[in-house]
Amino acid sequence: MMQAYLENKREAATVGLLVTFLNFGFAILGALVAFLVFFGWMPFGERANILRSDLNNIEIIVTIASLIYAACCARTGFGLLRREKSSLRWSQWMLFITVMIGGAILLSVIIPVGLKFSLLLSQDIDLRAVINDTAAVSELAPMALMVGETLIGVNLFLIALLALLALLVFIIPPLDALRRIDGIRLIVAPPRRLIVAFMVLLTIGVACVLIAGAFTVPLYPGMTTIRDAENHRLLAGLLFFLPGFVGYRLVRQVEEESDELRRAIALTPGKFIRSELAKSPSAGAIIGFIAIFMAFTMATDLFLEPSSVASFLSNVATKGIIAIGVTYLMISGEFDLSVGSILGVTALSFMNFMTNGAPVFGVMEPIPAAMLAIFVAFVLGSINGVLLITTRIPSFIVTLGTLLAFRAITLVAIAGGRILRYSDHHDALPVIAISNLVFMALVVIGLLVVAFTAYRVLPVWYRQAAHAWSIREANGDFGTTGALIRTGVFLLALFVIVIAVIWLVAVFSYHSSAGGGQMVEVGYFDLFNGRVLSIGSEGDFFHMPIPRNANVRLAIVWWFIFVAIFHVILTNTSFGNSIFATGGNEGAARAQGVNVDRIKLQNFVIVALLTGIAAIYETARNPGVDPLKGTGWELEVIAMTVIGGALLTGGYGSVVGSLLGALIFGMLQTGLVLVGIESRLFAGTIGVIIIAAVVLNTLVRGGQRN
Amino acid sequence: MQYKQQNADALVDMVDIHKYFGSVQVLRGVDFHVDRQEIVGLLGDNGAGKSTLIKVLTGFHSLTRGQIYFDGDAVAIESPHDARELGIETVHQDLALVPLMSIARNFWLGQEPTYSIGPFRLLDKKKMASESVGALADVGIHIRDSEETVGTMSGGERQSIAIGRAVYFGKKLLILDEPTSALSVGETQKVLDYTIAAKEKGMGVIFITHNIRHVYEVADRFTIIERGHKLGDFYKSEVTENEVADMIVTGQIPERLRLYGEGAGE
Repeated sequence: MMQAYLENKREAATVGLLVTFLNFGFAILGALVAFLVFFGWMPFGERANILRSDLNNIEIIVTIASLIYAACCARTGFGLLRREKSSLRWSQWMLFITVMIGGAILLSVIIPVGLKFSLLLSQDIDLRAVINDTAAVSELAPMALMVGETLIGVNLFLIALLALLALLVFIIPPLDALRRIDGIRLIVAPPRRLIVAFMVLLTIGVACVLIAGAFTVPLYPGMTTIRDAENHRLLAGLLFFLPGFVGYRLVRQVEEESDELRRAIALTPGKFIRSELAKSPSAGAIIGFIAIFMAFTMATDLFLEPSSVASFLSNVATKGIIAIGVTYLMISGEFDLSVGSILGVTALSFMNFMTNGAPVFGVMEPIPAAMLAIFVAFVLGSINGVLLITTRIPSFIVTLGTLLAFRAITLVAIAGGRILRYSDHHDALPVIAISNLVFMALVVIGLLVVAFTAYRVLPVWYRQAAHAWSIREANGDFGTTGALIRTGVFLLALFVIVIAVIWLVAVFSYHSSAGGGQMVEVGYFDLFNGRVLSIGSEGDFFHMPIPRNANVRLAIVWWFIFVAIFHVILTNTSFGNSIFATGGNEGAARAQGVNVDRIKLQNFVIVALLTGIAAIYETARNPGVDPLKGTGWELEVIAMTVIGGALLTGGYGSVVGSLLGALIFGMLQTGLVLVGIESRLFAGTIGVIIIAAVVLNTLVRGGQRN
Repeated sequence: MQYKQQNADALVDMVDIHKYFGSVQVLRGVDFHVDRQEIVGLLGDNGAGKSTLIKVLTGFHSLTRGQIYFDGDAVAIESPHDARELGIETVHQDLALVPLMSIARNFWLGQEPTYSIGPFRLLDKKKMASESVGALADVGIHIRDSEETVGTMSGGERQSIAIGRAVYFGKKLLILDEPTSALSVGETQKVLDYTIAAKEKGMGVIFITHNIRHVYEVADRFTIIERGHKLGDFYKSEVTENEVADMIVTGQIPERLRLYGEGAGE
């Protein structure tokens, strides 16, 4: 229909004008939202309850995003008026985004209100009594509230999450491209009736909250009313969501024709996202990450506070490092239950070498002790690998055995369940004096790395951008979006590089101002895993733009570096290719000359080494080791890996997935506490998330398992 | 005991092959050869010993007695790796490709092209994509996208890719182990076409099957194995499809063909 409109066909005029009108409408709406949010009339996050004058993080983001959105909508509207061909694609995307925005705003009301209801009910307050007490109750409100209580109050949080999942499943029906391939089993169609039922329940629940809110009924004594602010947001959410949905249905249909350009624009946003996700092993993790991140961001203001983010990152950084190795191992078709015990033994060795001393070397300095401890981990990993290869026992059993055997080492070494503390043997934590020339040298190396990256990356991305613009030139105004995106990527890279250079130069001048050769005292343990801000006597040693109260640990930095390195190894080397082949089809790998046994042994060693490094970081963070250190970590790490999309049967997975899995894990750990849900529910939530993530992965990947 | 290569020009010449598993004599003095650019149908009922013969050739089993000549030289094939080094590629029904990996990655598995950044060697993905598409097109296999995972493809397409890979990497001998037993008629035809393409590129082909209908069209010669013995070598011009089928089932050489059979010279 829209295509006909662009070709000035008369029968399409109404629909075309409607869509044009919708785009202009959303432009005005977006600008209005930006205005309202900026001046505090439509608060987000905690401000709905606590009146504050300053804008919080979410509101700033919402304001900026709304303005960009409004501009894009306006541009689309003008494009449609001028019958530009590219405006079809633009309107598809803008309306798609509109639907998402509407959904997000609605969730931002539903989730906090739902949480409050749940909390309220768990406190056994007689809701009806509260309502009856209030003078300003109208006739309708209690009824609406009672319906709302049953429909959303009881379990709105759960329904909202399920509805979100259902919505995602809804936009992930079978790929049209895959349908044509013979021999492939298609994805089972989502149970539509279930989705409809959820949607109806949700709508009724929302309507009830709306009605109840309209009559400003106090929900419970502490929380005064569902405020006007939340009504504004509900209204805004519905204004975006409903017309956006109608509009998107209108522009989604594009008649397929042989013309390649036509086919290109027939790739609607929904299909595009689906096909992109289907390519990634961690589709479930990406969706889960976004959903959980948004849910917590909207549920509580505290979640985006630097201290919360730092806290959850610090909590999972060490586990995340181990998860990288476990991902490797799982892709090659094996897994390791003994990482918790290896962690325990390594941590104990490290501490023991520094306090009681090692057999030959005596009491050691932290860095040699760390190296020797990591060597111990290497030996333990090799034992796992060699046992597996020589005996051909399944890795589950081998590592179950070593899980118990390695644990015995720590239990025997520290008798009576004592804790081996660094402070029991030494008066002060170890400190090393480093010449500031070293830091200046580090900065220079950093500058070189940045320069090299710029040299490799910028010309390529510039060429891509230029190419995209030339395609646009050649094809009328097709391809504008791609050209804009590529230009944006190029400019962003340029921006990041400029900022990095400015920062590094600032750090350099800071250190050089004290004169060369000046000694800086640094805690040894801080070098491994200190608070980034407390490193160095001045506490401002890298000039990092981090708020003072944020507990940013160095292990986070190491973690991201490890993820980058191991991601490149897995996806861009022959070794990585062999790992995938080993787990995917051992016979085929062997037939192509891959030394399967060696790959497996190497992976066991990689896991052990990463676990050893993680153990050093853990010990450095809290210099004391108890004999049960690391107990239960193996399953948590496997959970992260599985959430990240690795298949237990091998041959599939990604390092970035393990990163996302660990982040989801950490967000839940911190977020559930912040929104006031009991930490006892944490394990249960993780359980649900694991199953949901794996189901999502299977759905997205469709039938291409074997 | 001294062995002598019997067929001077043959690509592979296996002479007087014996293979015993304990007291079970699976192969009892089989002579088998493949000429250059020849498609040999290796036929026999289940349990006749044809798989064992091939496993001896590809290094999965060591032979008890006998000698293998490859490309004119006496060779000792002791592991699958040795066979691979010689240029023998085996396409198994299930062991050919890794389903969860892309076509390009499967194609290059074990010998990926790389480029260096300092001491690090990274995969040359551009070359992997373009050359795999090109090489497969040379054999007549046209794929949509080299990034597609093999798991989404049909059995015939998978066999074809494995064959295309063997041709590209300059293998001399291609062994197809029951390649068509699980394929539809159309797919079988495609695999047969690629087999001919491999032959035209200069390879010798051994086509193992117990169903003559799958191979009669393309094979130049049939070798029939019967209970550890070779029943005989028959060129396609000499026999009809039905005669071959009868021999596989009955283990008897028809009167008309006695001349060509095992006992002919004795």
